[in-house]
Amino acid sequence: MTDHKESAGTRTLEVLRKQRWWFTRVLVLPVHLFFFAAAVFFLVRMIPGDPVEQLTGGQNVSAAKMEQIRASLGLTGSVFSQFIHYLHNVVTLHFGNSMVDGLSVWGELSQRLPETIELTVIAMVIATALTVVMGLAAVLKPRSILAKILVPYARTAGAIPDFVLGVLGILLFYSTFRLLPAPDGLYAPTLNPDPTVTGFPLLDALFAGDTVMFGSICAHLVLPVAVLVIAYTPLLLKIFLRALEEAVDAPPTRFRIAAGASRKTVLLSVVRRAAPSAVAMMGTLFGFMLGGVVVVEQLFAIPGMGLYGVNAVNSSDRTALEGFLILVATISLVVFLIVDLINMMIDPRRRPGLAKDGAS
Amino acid sequence: MSVTISVSDETLTAPAPKVAGRKILAGIWSWAPLYPMAAVFLIAVIGPWIVPLSPTEVAGSPNLPPGGAFHFGTDSTGLDVFSRTIAAFRNDIVIATLTSAISTVGGILLGLLIGMNESRRGLLGWVARFLARVLDLIQAVPAVVIALALVAVVGTSVYSLTIALAIILTPNQARMVRTEVLKVRTDAYIDAARMAGEREFALTLRHVLPNASWPAVENASLVFGSAILITATLGFLGVGLHPPTPEWGSMISTGASDAAVGRWWSFVFPAIALLIAVGSFALAGHRVFGRRSD
Repeated sequence: MTDHKESAGTRTLEVLRKQRWWFTRVLVLPVHLFFFAAAVFFLVRMIPGDPVEQLTGGQNVSAAKMEQIRASLGLTGSVFSQFIHYLHNVVTLHFGNSMVDGLSVWGELSQRLPETIELTVIAMVIATALTVVMGLAAVLKPRSILAKILVPYARTAGAIPDFVLGVLGILLFYSTFRLLPAPDGLYAPTLNPDPTVTGFPLLDALFAGDTVMFGSICAHLVLPVAVLVIAYTPLLLKIFLRALEEAVDAPPTRFRIAAGASRKTVLLSVVRRAAPSAVAMMGTLFGFMLGGVVVVEQLFAIPGMGLYGVNAVNSSDRTALEGFLILVATISLVVFLIVDLINMMIDPRRRPGLAKDGAS
Repeated sequence: MSVTISVSDETLTAPAPKVAGRKILAGIWSWAPLYPMAAVFLIAVIGPWIVPLSPTEVAGSPNLPPGGAFHFGTDSTGLDVFSRTIAAFRNDIVIATLTSAISTVGGILLGLLIGMNESRRGLLGWVARFLARVLDLIQAVPAVVIALALVAVVGTSVYSLTIALAIILTPNQARMVRTEVLKVRTDAYIDAARMAGEREFALTLRHVLPNASWPAVENASLVFGSAILITATLGFLGVGLHPPTPEWGSMISTGASDAAVGRWWSFVFPAIALLIAVGSFALAGHRVFGRRSD
């Protein structure tokens, strides 16, 4: 009996050991989030100027009233107790009210988040699909005109200013050729928003069966998405091209060709080998796109999260800035987590505990 | 470090008659990729003195098309686009030069500190690992968002923008140096120096520093471009250098509303200047370091 028990124990241990790679990676997330929350806490308190004075607008207010405002901003007590109070608020998603319009920061952010996510995800999907297609085309036919265009294009990674592309797009496709709608938001201002089901405007229009709205949103999204895709695809394409070139020359590929494998099998194995480094890049790509969305939202007047953050900085709205920073950091960290997990799944060599030396 | 055999054009061509003039010409031509960068620096130095009109004061009636007294036209407030575009070189170049210098030096030092100590026990090891995590976290969040947060704290003068940009761009430099340090650290000459009784600090400075800092130096031209781009992005978002300080980002931002009604000039010229500035440094970097990194 004891023997059986022991084997069950070792089996659980074995299972735990095998699953450790994703488990430990997931556990790191709250630690990172804590660091970020702490950084934001101190950063926001370093913003010059007295927040209470900012709220009262320089009027003469009684000391009691001042104290009340101070308490509502979480600025009473020692720094440590303030910090604990703040952490509690962050965990329970109580970011407080905006110092400018008095609206709940979380309410505002959660309403704006879907629009930003929608824009970013559409751009991500298109950029990824384009990278795979263009990368394969360039590597399979290295002497074609397409390859000669794509390789220099990939070199511009990170050097294309998104706002220049955006204004150029408006100049050409709106004001010159009149092909696309004005940069006046997510849909034509004459339309009424559909009832909120998912919060994602495009999906909501679809659920409501509102084809006019759906078309308007699509037309308004063309330029913002195109800007993000054109500006940030090179980041991914560059990495994917390099990985593909390495994989094409790798011994396993030569072996497959020599062994008479079909073209399809060889191609699949090449992509399989090139994928991990490209997937690893997708986290960075998402970060760049999220930064690009801030710019694009400003340019096209899309009322998303980025616009909220920019306005918060402009009006030194501390509470709004706090909420914005924590939300962006959380999204970025979660995306990096997902990317890491996918990569560990498709490439077991990337799982922790296997790399013996720190060289990476 | 592999031995590179230089196969330049000169060695491959058959022994040509040695004409001094042709050689000089070839020399001039081979450094041509650096000329745009030199021109950008020149404009940055003399720009504010050669502009025909004040870049910060209303020069004429608004929205005049290019031509006549206003080479690039005037923007929607009547500022001369040409003078502003040229005068803006100085601010952006000062910010970008300082930023790439600070982040390269800082990145090399941090990379050395982290790379040499992160697998060590004791306080130094902990500090190194902590710094490595901090750098990772800075890189995990979009640069524009960190820039927004930092600008809210440090303000928007030329020097405070430099500080903010240095904080954003140093982590990548440090990461590249760290990776190289980890490779160099196991080389035989390091062990030899250690066995010869050299102290760790001297060893790091004398042997690891010269051999492991090249990635950051090479990347400096890209940091330069990034610094210009982020400065312009902040200006575009309206949180950078305050107008009417001549700055391409804020000019493009006003140009954006002009472009929407078909007045292209107040957007196109600063955008071209921005692209030239970023491109010239990428070009020069490619000429100086290109053979090694590709």
